[in-house]
Amino acid sequence: MNTTTLAPAPDPSSAAAPLAACAPWTCPFCSLLCDGFGLQDGDPPQLLGSDCPRATKALAAFARPAAPVTPSIDGAPATLEATLDAAAARLAGARQPLFGGLATDVAGMRQLYRLANACGAILDHAHGDALMHALRPLQDRGQMFTTLAEIRTRADLVVCFGTDASNYPEFFRRCAPTANSELQRRTVFVSTVPPAQAIEGSSVETVTGQGDLFDTAATLAALVEQRRVSRPAPELAELADALRAARYAVLVWEPAQLPAHGALIGETLLRLVMSLNRSTRAGMFALGGLDGAQTANAAMTWLSGLPLRSRVGPRGLEHQPLQYATGRLLAGDEVDLLLWVASFGPNLPPPPTGVPRIVLGHPTQAPHCAEKGTIFIPVATPGVNASGHLLRADGVVALPLHAIRDDGLPGVADVARALDARLALVAEDAR
Amino acid sequence: MSTIRLRGGQVYDPTNGIDGELRDIGIRDGRIVELHPQEKVDHDYDLAGCVVMAGGIDLHTHIGGGKVNLARMLLPEDHRARRERDNLLELASGGCCTPGTLQTGYRYAEMGYTAAFEPAMLAANARQAHMEMGDTPILDHGAYVMLGNEEVFLEMLARGEDFERIRDYVGWSINASKAMGVKVVNPGGISAFKFNQRKLDVDENHVHWQVTPRRVVHTLARALRELGVPHPLHIHASNLGVAGNIESTLATIDALEGLPGHLTHIQFHAYGTEGPKKFSSATRQLIEKLKAAPNVSIDVGQIIFGQTVTASGDTMRQLANADLGSPRKYVGGDIECDAGCGVVPFRYREQSYVNALQWAIGLEIFLRMDDPWRVVLTTDHPNGGPFTSYPHLIKLLMDKSFRDEQLARLHPDVAAMADLREIGRELSLYDIAIMTRAGPAKLLGLTDRGQLGVGAAADIAVYREQADREAMFATPEYVFKDGTLVARRGRLEAVPTGGTHFVEPDYDPAIEKTLERHYREHMSIDWRHARISKDELCSCSNHGSLLPCKLHGGGRT
Ligand code: SF4
Ligand SMILES: [Zn+2]
Ligand SMILES: [Zn+2]
Repeated sequence: MNTTTLAPAPDPSSAAAPLAACAPWTCPFCSLLCDGFGLQDGDPPQLLGSDCPRATKALAAFARPAAPVTPSIDGAPATLEATLDAAAARLAGARQPLFGGLATDVAGMRQLYRLANACGAILDHAHGDALMHALRPLQDRGQMFTTLAEIRTRADLVVCFGTDASNYPEFFRRCAPTANSELQRRTVFVSTVPPAQAIEGSSVETVTGQGDLFDTAATLAALVEQRRVSRPAPELAELADALRAARYAVLVWEPAQLPAHGALIGETLLRLVMSLNRSTRAGMFALGGLDGAQTANAAMTWLSGLPLRSRVGPRGLEHQPLQYATGRLLAGDEVDLLLWVASFGPNLPPPPTGVPRIVLGHPTQAPHCAEKGTIFIPVATPGVNASGHLLRADGVVALPLHAIRDDGLPGVADVARALDARLALVAEDAR
Repeated sequence: MSTIRLRGGQVYDPTNGIDGELRDIGIRDGRIVELHPQEKVDHDYDLAGCVVMAGGIDLHTHIGGGKVNLARMLLPEDHRARRERDNLLELASGGCCTPGTLQTGYRYAEMGYTAAFEPAMLAANARQAHMEMGDTPILDHGAYVMLGNEEVFLEMLARGEDFERIRDYVGWSINASKAMGVKVVNPGGISAFKFNQRKLDVDENHVHWQVTPRRVVHTLARALRELGVPHPLHIHASNLGVAGNIESTLATIDALEGLPGHLTHIQFHAYGTEGPKKFSSATRQLIEKLKAAPNVSIDVGQIIFGQTVTASGDTMRQLANADLGSPRKYVGGDIECDAGCGVVPFRYREQSYVNALQWAIGLEIFLRMDDPWRVVLTTDHPNGGPFTSYPHLIKLLMDKSFRDEQLARLHPDVAAMADLREIGRELSLYDIAIMTRAGPAKLLGLTDRGQLGVGAAADIAVYREQADREAMFATPEYVFKDGTLVARRGRLEAVPTGGTHFVEPDYDPAIEKTLERHYREHMSIDWRHARISKDELCSCSNHGSLLPCKLHGGGRT
């Protein structure tokens, strides 16, 4: 696509605003996938219609580099072909590779899954720990979720549990009631400090927790279920009453903010919401799935039947939500090759490790990937210099991402496909 | 140019009235052609002792989309049984009631099926549904977009919007989501549940919009007919699974007022309230009604004993059943002012009176319905049971003594009392060919599928004739997809990417103004992203072919 500017939604107040023929820009920099803002190409590209700090910071990494970043082998620049050959040879020789990072889009995951089959890899995401905080309650008990448009239209009580949502800067704007809505919304922050700015269309309150996050969740759940609680904090008791009285309460949580036993907190919150649904309506919204985590996990699950932290072995798939954590595998010398994918920006550089690394990364990661034992292939970013698809935090809405320019970089899918083709030749030769 | 001759098989091709004749079938470049008996071919297959049918078509199977994927995440235990990958064509993928998309494609194809349709695609989740279907190899696919619970539709009905505008909206929705048809699920009920309404009968008002399911059903059925969409409105009626719901089912048929309608998983909607347990079969009433309503077709949603999972857009009914879950887990969601989803794992037990009766009711419907062209063989995969149980189901329908053996193992009250005991009918291969390929093709408007006439696509299943129908249908001798041999005796030979079937009804684009405002005020994405372009469909569906389907009567003019 050659368009240099993707237009924001036309201003509804000007009656003459024509429907822009080109597609709106979809922001890939957090899992809210805002598509109501524009992007002006430049050095770096400029966000139009929002001052989201997260997007602004991310876009800064897309100033055009003085010299093009090339692939490299052990720190030495090499052609893409030579780099792919070297990477394929290392993959073919690996006994147990780990595919980590996985910050990519649907097309990237589709090809990485094929490649994982060719070399028996374990797959985990850079945000695997947070992902498991949300996944394990789902595997054990289930889920009761709601989505942005439902919150916008229906929620009269929003409870932010242990999160101010600042990692998802546009969250409150995205679920603000419409201007002419009759909703009287309250937003209550539990065990956290609310954001400094006002929240559109809502009053803001704070409730101090009772003990740590787990104790607070357990107490609130007990109060909602009207079980006996000795000396509950009055604010929490009032909140429990408000939850029971609300027509549509939404409990917002952020798995990445939770401590090691986060899955237990997730389970407690789910129990609370399920109890509410016996008499009224309520849902949960998890702020999670950053850097393609939502997408990678969904695509892995639909292709294979099992989520991330699974191994594609010769005898089928094996899922280990705790054991197959990147940090643990690298620390325990359980893998002998790391293929790291981080296509959205400079954050998520490959973890330092003694095992050889193949990095499909944003060009700004080159300096972290110049040491011996590391192969680096700069890749395109969906939503800036590649098109693609990502899934939103709620796990329901998938949106297209549009390129605003072409920097001549391969996509993750292209690289994975090329590696897969080389491995197939190696396998052929071996036969 | 590749030519194939299938020589001397016993052909069952109901579309062309062929009932077991010995014939040759010629294939050239993926199509069925007339071959001169002397013409040299690239591949010649001797099919003596084999039965030849068109590839199977499943018109109601939950194979792709958010709720199916949530069901997979909910049940990691469904994926523990691992098997050696002995075939390099297969990528690792597992599961029985929540199979991965790869596993779904492989196992359907090995069973002689060449097309499958996802019945419950949410507009908000359409891209993901197309992605999952695109990652379901070998099979062609398509989906019905779920309408009838979106706030925008209910609001239009409530304010008495002109029917023509509502019809335009339906046409727009089908185009935007690249659907093959429309499914309505618990008409109005999914939305009503968001307002905490827990029950909604056909003539009861939605608490907020003051609209009845009867109006929802009639409006959608009329819109589809006027838009020329071949597949009739696909209806998941009110009160799924509730004792006495036969009243709702009959009222829903009446709501159609003669318009075409397809009542899906009808087994779950055919219950009376008689007997000591206040739960009884209403098959007789249902069949009587269906005989007098030629505008109505059905699929059964047969239950199969064992572990499965139920995944439905019907949040109202699914939450009501959450406590019956086994294992006891539940996924529910309210989705984008559009729809919802509810997932309950379930184990159907032979010794449960209710489950045993459900099993008998499903079979009674198959066997009592006089017109096989209006009955499609389904288990509502995975809701009644996984699709891999189709060969078992075919044996139950074709073999009275096998059926009696199974019946004897059930809860004693059902074994002793069910009407099923007295039904002697055994379906023929011709009946099976109608219910699993010719019939669904006709109901979907697929003129070149589900049949073996000259010009049709060469989607073909060849079964070795065996007295044990389960064994026969489980492992066809050969399966061809568009003329390519994809499976031989239960082993994959090729893994092509399937195509996407969809319809493109005409509509007045003036409706887009209303929708644009609705998106701005209530939705959470830019209005211009509401529509999937053909190019985008292509990348979502993994670059399989696009198969736009002809409209009836050329559509609206
Ligand atoms: S909130 Fe997230 S998606 Fe929206 S603009 Fe900011 S970074 Fe991008
Ligand atoms: Zn249904
Ligand atoms: Zn169904």
